[in-house]
Amino acid sequence: MERSGHFQRRNPSHSSPSSSSSTSYRQSAHSRSNRFAKSAPNSVGRRISGHQEPEAAKNEPSDPPAIAGTCPFMCPEEERAQRERLRDLAVFERLNGNPSLSSPSLAVKKFCRTITSKQVRASDVRPLPILEDTLTYLLNLLHSAKHPFEVIQDFIFDRTRSIRQDLTMQHIVNDRAIRMYQKMVKFHVISHYKLRNHSSFQDASSLHYLNLEQLTKSLTSLFDLYEGESLSLWFRHVPSSIMRSKEMCFARELLRFFRFGNYKRFLNAVAAEASCLQYCIIEPYVNEVRALALAFINNGGYKLHPYPLAHLSNLLMMKVSEVESFCNACGLETCTDEEGNKLLPMKQTTFCRPKGGFMRYGLMGLDQFEDQLLNCAAGEGE
Amino acid sequence: MAHVSMGEAHRRIADYLNRFADAVSYQDGASLKKLLSLSSNSSSLLSLADALAVFHDSNRLIKQSDKFSHLAEILLPLFRALHSYRIGNLVDSYQSYEKSANAFIQEFRNWDSAWALEALYVVAYEIRILAENADRELASNGKLPEKLKAAGSFLMKVFGVLAGKGAKRVGALYVTCQLFKIYFKLGTVHLCRSVIRSIETARIFDFEEFPKRDKVTYMYYTGRLEVFNENFPAADHKLSYALKHCNRQSEANIRMILKYLIPVKLSIGILPKDWFLEKYNLVEYRNVVQALKRGDLRLLRHALQEHEDRFLRSGVYLVLEKLELQVYQRLMKKIYIIQKQKDPNKAHQLKLEIIVKALKWLEMDMDLDEVECIVAILIYKNLVKGYFAHKSKVVVLSKQDPFPKLNGKPVNS
Repeated sequence: MERSGHFQRRNPSHSSPSSSSSTSYRQSAHSRSNRFAKSAPNSVGRRISGHQEPEAAKNEPSDPPAIAGTCPFMCPEEERAQRERLRDLAVFERLNGNPSLSSPSLAVKKFCRTITSKQVRASDVRPLPILEDTLTYLLNLLHSAKHPFEVIQDFIFDRTRSIRQDLTMQHIVNDRAIRMYQKMVKFHVISHYKLRNHSSFQDASSLHYLNLEQLTKSLTSLFDLYEGESLSLWFRHVPSSIMRSKEMCFARELLRFFRFGNYKRFLNAVAAEASCLQYCIIEPYVNEVRALALAFINNGGYKLHPYPLAHLSNLLMMKVSEVESFCNACGLETCTDEEGNKLLPMKQTTFCRPKGGFMRYGLMGLDQFEDQLLNCAAGEGE
Repeated sequence: MAHVSMGEAHRRIADYLNRFADAVSYQDGASLKKLLSLSSNSSSLLSLADALAVFHDSNRLIKQSDKFSHLAEILLPLFRALHSYRIGNLVDSYQSYEKSANAFIQEFRNWDSAWALEALYVVAYEIRILAENADRELASNGKLPEKLKAAGSFLMKVFGVLAGKGAKRVGALYVTCQLFKIYFKLGTVHLCRSVIRSIETARIFDFEEFPKRDKVTYMYYTGRLEVFNENFPAADHKLSYALKHCNRQSEANIRMILKYLIPVKLSIGILPKDWFLEKYNLVEYRNVVQALKRGDLRLLRHALQEHEDRFLRSGVYLVLEKLELQVYQRLMKKIYIIQKQKDPNKAHQLKLEIIVKALKWLEMDMDLDEVECIVAILIYKNLVKGYFAHKSKVVVLSKQDPFPKLNGKPVNS
């Protein structure tokens, strides 16, 4: 048998976190590239320097060297010219609506799936300041009332992918890049939320948002488990400083309530403490928890004491009218007593979770979030 | 490093070469393995390293003699690995050793019979250890550690060589265990899946044929995977196997297994005795067990907090957190027992108020709604038999077996 030391888990050789600028991240089991992780101690100083230029990460011996982009526009000139010729311009890129004419202030570099670092020229890659300006420009489009949200979202989704591609190719890992990632995630979360009930919603977008979780605060990742990776496994590798952060503690607390089925605490905690952005992420689980509550109550309640919907409405933090519809959606009937009070009979055998998922219901006390969301999307507020 | 004369250096190197070549030609696995065990810091390898520091012409020495020229591809990088290791150039020592190991595998393939299996084990082990060293060096120089990952790929290759019909196949489990250790360390645990599938479903392998030591290690790691996925019956089966067949003398290994087995046992309602925890120095579970015995939620939460880091790192934190349900069950049972002593006829009706009071006494602040919520969960998960009457704010317990034991099964999800 092996010496016992080999069973024991040593501290990872990747050194302890520099918690200052590093956001929490999720080391995907699939790609443990530490590129965006806390760096080794002796390079921390350099990372947090006030340097304006993008900083290449240490080269991994097997990777091609990082490129230093020099493209001064939101879109490389050659690409813009080519797309003008091919009439491949998005509505936002057309000068005066002309499908074959753009301009440096309108054209934005497209995401290219097949490109590799080896084939790319520096003049096609945008340096950090240009990328920052491009992102600001893109997010401002959200204010435009001229086009439907899905169209805007689609455009921004693609063009922000290209921004991330440029960041990756240049191995840019610093505070500014991280702030950009945070803005991009925020955008994805908001659009995910807004489009959830839209038939035109594309799953590609939500998958991509999952990829971005690597770089954002941990709340986003806790509820979305990658397939095959257990939460316990993920917890092993999260640095202590992040585990103890306010956001992580909140997320873990919610997780505990969720796993336990404690609908009372879960809903109260969400209503009391969740920020706008956090709520966007938690929202689908609110209905899961409500369904759990109904299942528990229906199962354990006394047959001769139907449960007052008014009380349920308090517990589930929903309006009474919505409670009724929610019960029905879960296959449960409601009834009314002589005084006109609505009740939920207990021990019904027809409980089931609706096959198509849940409708969107409000969370009482959180209506102000609906307005905030519009502001959130542009990167303000929150 | 001791200084060695040129003549002495030459002698030592020639001596090593002869021993190596002899081991191969006489199929002496026991001798061969000693010659490959770099990290063992054996005196003979150390003295060889000293010789290599002085004598730089091993290339000619090896290639000019028929006796060892065919082993050049193994020996030359091996010498370089040893030399690098000695002078602390750990990245190079891994790289060179991998080269040597690669050549070794090619030869190993051609040797009939499994005589060199012990030597192969040493090579697999060294690959992992040297890779860990190399990564440490890379990280400390601010570079990306990637040798352990490479070691994983290399060992997969080795696995492939062993996965055949001959006698060599019994070595596959050892290599699998080395892979497990790598994947666990890197956190790429999902990669375990494909080797597990090969071991468990490929027809060429018969699990019982493998050496006992390897079976124990294998069950330990696969048991841990089941813990991560909260498959408690499977985890119980595997970790118990590991415990049962583990070397009694090795207390450290027993402790390792118990570290994971105990939370599993707790989850299926089996509590270890205190002396047991003390014997194997598993004090971190003491309060958890006490909390379960007493129905003391505050103590459970405190225990989780106290050892939070440790539990999180080993991956049992969420398992232990889940024990809250059983603690609530125990608390309710105690209240019921006390009530029964006061008035056996009315004992099966528990006022929610009383539970609120009991929790307050434990410094847990819960209102009637939350207590009702918890009672509803306990009933749903079959930890309590009965129903709650919302209007009367009462739990009515079944007259028969109102608090069913888990009996070796996990709580219903």
